[in-house]
Amino acid sequence: MTASSDGDYVNNESKIIPGASVTLQLDGKPLPARRGQTVAAAMLAAGQRVLRHTRHAGKPRGLFCAMGVCFDCVMTIDGKAGVRACMTKVEDGMQVSSPVQFKPYERKS
Amino acid sequence: MSFTMETDIAVVGAGPAGLSAALAATNAGARVVVLDEYPEPGGQFYKQLPAEFSVPDRTKLDEDYTKGDAVLAAVKKAGVTIANETLVWGAFEAGELSVTRRGEAGSVKVKKIIVASGAYERVIAFPGWDLPGVMTPGGAQTLVKNQQQLPGSRIVLAGSGPFLLPVAKTLLGAGANIAAIYEATRPREWARHALRLWRHWDRIAEGLRYRRTLADAGLSIQFGRIVVRAEGADAVERVVTMECDASGRTIAGTEQAESCDTLCVGYGFIPQVQLTRLLECEHRYDALRGGWVPKYGGDMQTSVPGVYVAGEVAGIGGAYAALAEGWVAGLSAARELGHKVRDTALMSAQRDRALRRQFGDLVNTVFAVKPGIFELIADDTLVCRCEEVSAGEIRAAAAAWGARSGAVKGVTRCGMGYCQGRICGSLLEELTARAAGCTRAEVGGLSVRPPLKPVRVGDLADLAE
Repeated sequence: MTASSDGDYVNNESKIIPGASVTLQLDGKPLPARRGQTVAAAMLAAGQRVLRHTRHAGKPRGLFCAMGVCFDCVMTIDGKAGVRACMTKVEDGMQVSSPVQFKPYERKS
Repeated sequence: MSFTMETDIAVVGAGPAGLSAALAATNAGARVVVLDEYPEPGGQFYKQLPAEFSVPDRTKLDEDYTKGDAVLAAVKKAGVTIANETLVWGAFEAGELSVTRRGEAGSVKVKKIIVASGAYERVIAFPGWDLPGVMTPGGAQTLVKNQQQLPGSRIVLAGSGPFLLPVAKTLLGAGANIAAIYEATRPREWARHALRLWRHWDRIAEGLRYRRTLADAGLSIQFGRIVVRAEGADAVERVVTMECDASGRTIAGTEQAESCDTLCVGYGFIPQVQLTRLLECEHRYDALRGGWVPKYGGDMQTSVPGVYVAGEVAGIGGAYAALAEGWVAGLSAARELGHKVRDTALMSAQRDRALRRQFGDLVNTVFAVKPGIFELIADDTLVCRCEEVSAGEIRAAAAAWGARSGAVKGVTRCGMGYCQGRICGSLLEELTARAAGCTRAEVGGLSVRPPLKPVRVGDLADLAE
């Protein structure tokens, strides 16, 4: 994988080559990714740590278990709400947005 | 569209236990389908690269990537069917599992079920554990191994257990900057168990190799230190730790802050028993092996005839125990179906299993979660991440409604969110037991209901046709 300015890519000396380049749309803005990557990894590579805000306290959340158990990374992907970013592989043109949360109560803070 | 599959044995989970069970049963002559939620087989231990990634020269990869090769090749050669991206979410009739696969609902008709659903990581709540950048050690390892992505630029590892070592090795191998490693136990607390190690030289050698990797990177583990809080605005910026005594209680005046953008914390693993609960297997509370586990016999059959378990779901014991146990379960299930399995083959598998379980139990004993770490959870600390329920709300509910996990869940909504109590359930039970002064067994495990993980209504609609 190509080196990045923030140094957050694995330096594997080209032993492992990710798939073809694709472009996601994150809240309408282009986000580069490689086939085989998950949406969560593509966002992290772009320095995007906050994936959503919680519906009661409005607190930021990011990737937590990265194996499909905790559901903290749920986002709205191609119009479907509640999709785990860590379990969803990127596709060219995929529309990703931070979920617009259902707010049943007043936010606590 | 909906689909139907039919087979002799369904193995749920394609990690070490599931693959081993599938191989043993297939070799004995049974027809086997492995159902696995992930896009590539291997589970968390044999985590494979995405199929879309390419490897020009496989011999250049280190054992992180190749340790599953032999098992996966054997499974492929034996002709085992592996259904990837297939989530088992329900079991409504005997001999039938409800699944979804890439947006399509289906059912799998089976004669025997081997549950090898593995485990997930135990994270114990502390202030700031919901901040972006705080994650599980296994999550960080998966990001690197599977996704070739470092979780951050300055990483702190914390918690307890031998699993922190391979995670550190994987991160270091990928060029990560590890700022500190905190382990809650101290080597002198392990000393009295040292004699019991004598039959496990292979595992000791592995431990020594990890120690060398850390030393080469100029890292040393800081023992007897636990995370007390994580701080940051929109993401973690620093972690505060304190020294703790042998019971996990913090020692005043030992607070220390370390800056980081990633904090990986884990205190071992919890068996993933949602499916065995749904199948109505009897469970018992086994603190040593990670919590609630299904009861089973020497053939790995549970209290429900035809339902077997293997690996971490049967109690935390590590990947080698899982491989051995999968073999026992696979042979036993095949034999029950009338296939010829030699007594000696089964007995030798059972002996191997017992030895591996012995080591797993030893590790579990040494790295048992200390009570002080639970006492540290203040009333205003978040426990249920999905429904945003605090420890204080759980304690209040336990005081008002009685020390039953189901009642506390119903009153507080803790455990009712997307993760269905996988992350907070064990914390709910522990806090409830402590608030009421009773045992975890008395508090009871959270009940489960289908779907075992959230399933889209549209995916199920076709079943009605």
